[in-house]
Amino acid sequence: MQNTHILHDFNEAITALRQEVLAMAGQARLNLERAVESLLTRNVDLANAVIGDDNEVDEMERKVDRLGMEILVRFHPVASDLRLVLSSMKISINLERISDHATSIAKRARKMAKNQELPDVNIVEQVYAMSDQLLRDAITAYNNHDAALALGLHERDKELNRVYKRVSNTLTQRIEEGDERTDDYLHLIFVVRSLERIGDLSVNVGEDTVFMEAAKDVRHDEERQI
Amino acid sequence: MSNATLQAASVSGKRMVDERVTAETSSAMSTEQKATANEPVPEGAGGRPIQIECRDVEFSYGDSVALKEINLEIASNEVTAFIGPSGCGKSTLLRCFNRMNDLIPGARVSKGEIWIDGTEIHSDEVDSVELRRRAGMVFQKSNPFPRSIHENVSYGPRILGERNKSALDEKVERALRGAALWDEVKDRLHESAYGLSGGQQQRLCIARTIAVDPEIILMDEPCSALDPIASARVEELILQLKRDFTLVVVTHNMQQASRISDKTAFFYMGELVEFNPTSKVFTNPDNQRTEDYITGRFG
Repeated sequence: MQNTHILHDFNEAITALRQEVLAMAGQARLNLERAVESLLTRNVDLANAVIGDDNEVDEMERKVDRLGMEILVRFHPVASDLRLVLSSMKISINLERISDHATSIAKRARKMAKNQELPDVNIVEQVYAMSDQLLRDAITAYNNHDAALALGLHERDKELNRVYKRVSNTLTQRIEEGDERTDDYLHLIFVVRSLERIGDLSVNVGEDTVFMEAAKDVRHDEERQI
Repeated sequence: MSNATLQAASVSGKRMVDERVTAETSSAMSTEQKATANEPVPEGAGGRPIQIECRDVEFSYGDSVALKEINLEIASNEVTAFIGPSGCGKSTLLRCFNRMNDLIPGARVSKGEIWIDGTEIHSDEVDSVELRRRAGMVFQKSNPFPRSIHENVSYGPRILGERNKSALDEKVERALRGAALWDEVKDRLHESAYGLSGGQQQRLCIARTIAVDPEIILMDEPCSALDPIASARVEELILQLKRDFTLVVVTHNMQQASRISDKTAFFYMGELVEFNPTSKVFTNPDNQRTEDYITGRFG
């Protein structure tokens, strides 16, 4: 654990920034969880709630930027403080996109709820479980200053990509087979596509966390080492 | 040589110069130094030759050790910033480079060596006056002589033997242009230097230093008494000067260090804790004490 700053306000500003990022991450994850639940349980009210709450995440993104900019202007952070501000602002961009994907899933859930239940809908669960776990671990890594956990996300995302491809192929096959529920299968293809993208965005959060904690830029880097 | 002579010979010092400092001494010194500079000058990491090298330097004020085991290589045509809390030894080390500490009774380099361009600066063949011509100094508070702007700048060349008026005028213009002051003072060269603003006076002191063609410029908190605009002018000047000179700048202002320097040395309680490229020091320092200091944490 690092020593605290001599300047009390600086400590408070850094804490406030971290807390806002974590609150935003919590909200984005909740939106994702409820979006998938609304899809699986055909719950239109829940889907509407997710769509409505996306504005909250947007507002949080603005707040993270505002807090980050205030720290830059007031305290001229350097070294680990500077990396924390830069990474937090970038992480909030990724979290906002994750929430957008949750909203997009909720919108498709709302549309599918108008049709008869599709038994195949459960096929998204495995993809969801994996992407949600990546997102949770990305948030944990940021919260716990855990660069090793953050670094491992990239490799785990490859497994998610394999599962996504398999599920996506299955859904495409249904359409090719001439199933009359083409629209619903198309919705599901976009849902799993969103879940796969959430995995990528979680990896981004992990990369920013690695930069924050270990000062290493591991983006686009095949040999990922701290 | 007496202390008074040593101090006076520092071109940017306040005292008047002893007439014993003659051009003959300086030129003889240069020849001698070239002859004895038999050690190959090593290269820095960036390919630039090393101009100043400290080897296990220990410095004491009487019995009290102010600097311990300082090993440092400063490359030519770079700006090196010395940072650290008050009393950490950064100014002491800066003053070692032109032996300004010789003027303080009981103060001495008690161990180790300081090499400048392949010559150990405490060896017998080195004349401290010539050393101070080669490594000029600019202080925290501007200290122009109570003379005209022209006289302030021509002073150094004159005591080094230049008597030709047009040659002196040329040197004054070149130094004032070098210090980014010419346009502001060219119409009042013979007015008192005290009529200049604080920032202009500091640039005048820089002009006075470069008028004697040094290789190294040592600056001890050169902007701490200046407003932000005057500071920015001096900082811009420092960046221009590194084309022709090697600069070492002591500063408490870490934003300034990050703006102007290529390398940064962090000192703490007489030790050199970290010496790295400035961008590295301010984004990812190697040492936790550096991190704690630059981020303003309790150590």
